[in-house]
Amino acid sequence: MKAIDIVQPIPSVTTVDSVTAAIRQMTDANLPGVVVVDEQNRPVTVIAGTQVLKMAVLTAYHDDPALVRTIDEASADSFTHDCNQRTVGECLSDKKAKPITARSDATLLELATIMLRNRSPLVAIVDRDKKLVGAVTLTALLGTMAPENQPA
Amino acid sequence: MSALAALTIFLVAFVFIASEKVNKVKVVLIAAGLMAVTRLIPGSEVFFSEHEGIDWNVIFLLLGMMIIVGVVKQTGLFDYLGIWAAKKSRGRPYRLMVLLMAITAIASPILDNVTIIMLVVPVTIVVCNRLRIAAQPYIIAEVLASNIGGAATLIGDPPNMIIASRANLSFGDFLVHMTPIVIIVFIAFVVLTRLLFRKEFEYNPDQLASVMTLQEKRAITDVRLLVRCLVVLTAVIIAFCLHTVLHVEPSVVALVGAGVMVLVSGIEIEEVLDEVEWGTLVFFMGLFVMVAGLGHTGVIEKIGTWAVDAIGQHYFGAASALLFGSAGLGAFFDNIPYAATMAPIVESLADQIQDDRATQGLWWAFALGADFGGNGTAIAASANVVAIGLAARGGHKITFWQFTRYGIPVTIISVLIAWGYVYLRYFA
Repeated sequence: MKAIDIVQPIPSVTTVDSVTAAIRQMTDANLPGVVVVDEQNRPVTVIAGTQVLKMAVLTAYHDDPALVRTIDEASADSFTHDCNQRTVGECLSDKKAKPITARSDATLLELATIMLRNRSPLVAIVDRDKKLVGAVTLTALLGTMAPENQPA
Repeated sequence: MSALAALTIFLVAFVFIASEKVNKVKVVLIAAGLMAVTRLIPGSEVFFSEHEGIDWNVIFLLLGMMIIVGVVKQTGLFDYLGIWAAKKSRGRPYRLMVLLMAITAIASPILDNVTIIMLVVPVTIVVCNRLRIAAQPYIIAEVLASNIGGAATLIGDPPNMIIASRANLSFGDFLVHMTPIVIIVFIAFVVLTRLLFRKEFEYNPDQLASVMTLQEKRAITDVRLLVRCLVVLTAVIIAFCLHTVLHVEPSVVALVGAGVMVLVSGIEIEEVLDEVEWGTLVFFMGLFVMVAGLGHTGVIEKIGTWAVDAIGQHYFGAASALLFGSAGLGAFFDNIPYAATMAPIVESLADQIQDDRATQGLWWAFALGADFGGNGTAIAASANVVAIGLAARGGHKITFWQFTRYGIPVTIISVLIAWGYVYLRYFA
């Protein structure tokens, strides 16, 4: 089995889209992350869901669990910070990071090791011109290991 | 010829460090490697000569203090204090600023400046967001206060550690000579902030309620850990004060303190070691080798002799040049490599002066200049760079000039007060 057999078409965002747009895309398409593309539809970076979450939380809270505990429940319930005002590009922590991609003919083992190496639940699948075809999610990959009709 | 080669390697490396275009750890490692490979410094001296190689006293003092700070960090004490200050000030800007500066300045002689900034800035951003006021003036004031406070002790600022080791100065010497002037400068700074930041102060009493809902007591989840940490920290400070009586180096005090801190806190050693800035330690090691190359090839001695000839009997002139020169250069370069380079030159100069009081005056003028110079510009000290990065990520961008606009007057006034102090205490 190859990537092309389990790839699914996905929406993408660009670096000028807001963090809110990225979150909405993840929740609407039930994806574990987002693929950020350039004007030619080539992946610039792949962001795991936890990294999107990181973009939404005020950085002052990131490494300070004691400070987080001081926040009252009402404020903690609405913890997202300026998601509409800030773009995905502004929030990228590593702007030079290579996108997590594979070609359509990548094997499942290749996909699995790419996910492991990059700790990403999403791999963008690209064509020969490095344009986005779709993505393989961790769930889709795990699904091939334990198909529904196979007894547990 | 070897002196010229050592000087060339050193200057090229220094330019790269100052430009901040290349990782400074890489630069010092390459430069140190070149010094060793070209035999400008013998391999045996690199590791085993106290003055002509890596100063392990400084390295292990830093390591011990990083471990101690790594444990103290986990207590939530600074978040508690930050929110307490915000509530106590009732959102009034000058009161809030003074309380935050006081917390920073009191902690900075004991704990590393960068760590204090990493602990205080996040809580400042949260408080300012709640009060719907700009956090920049408060963050800048905290950085300036931490650089001033850090000058007070041997362990407060890395240049002091380097100077203490080179000049054989004790923790007590710093308390006697540096702490009084730091207190005076800090009081002057507190008065000055009222004037400096007067246009930046915003007061939103209607937002106070959102600060009052912060639950500072929840920051400290393990009171026993906090009490144990404070007891060990107090014991470490007492041991630092008595290190000459106990005949142990400050580095040994810090290492033993770190060990006890890890033991009583019960925190996993891996977790604590993650807090150690290994890159900084390697940077220091490389830097010492680079400077040792200059020492071994006679460059430092030549500069020292030239300086002695130039100053003649004008020791106060030399101290003034050291004070203003160090502050001026320290404002534009990282004050750590500057102090590491200048310390052996000052030592060479001091060795050739017979007057003990004047020698002391030179060392303290150098320390005061290097420490206070750290406030000059946005890039003058590591704490400044870290604070600006944290502020930008928290949505309160501080530009180079915004920082420098406040840093320069504070540096000028600090140095002028220090100049008067040096004159009255060592040359009058």
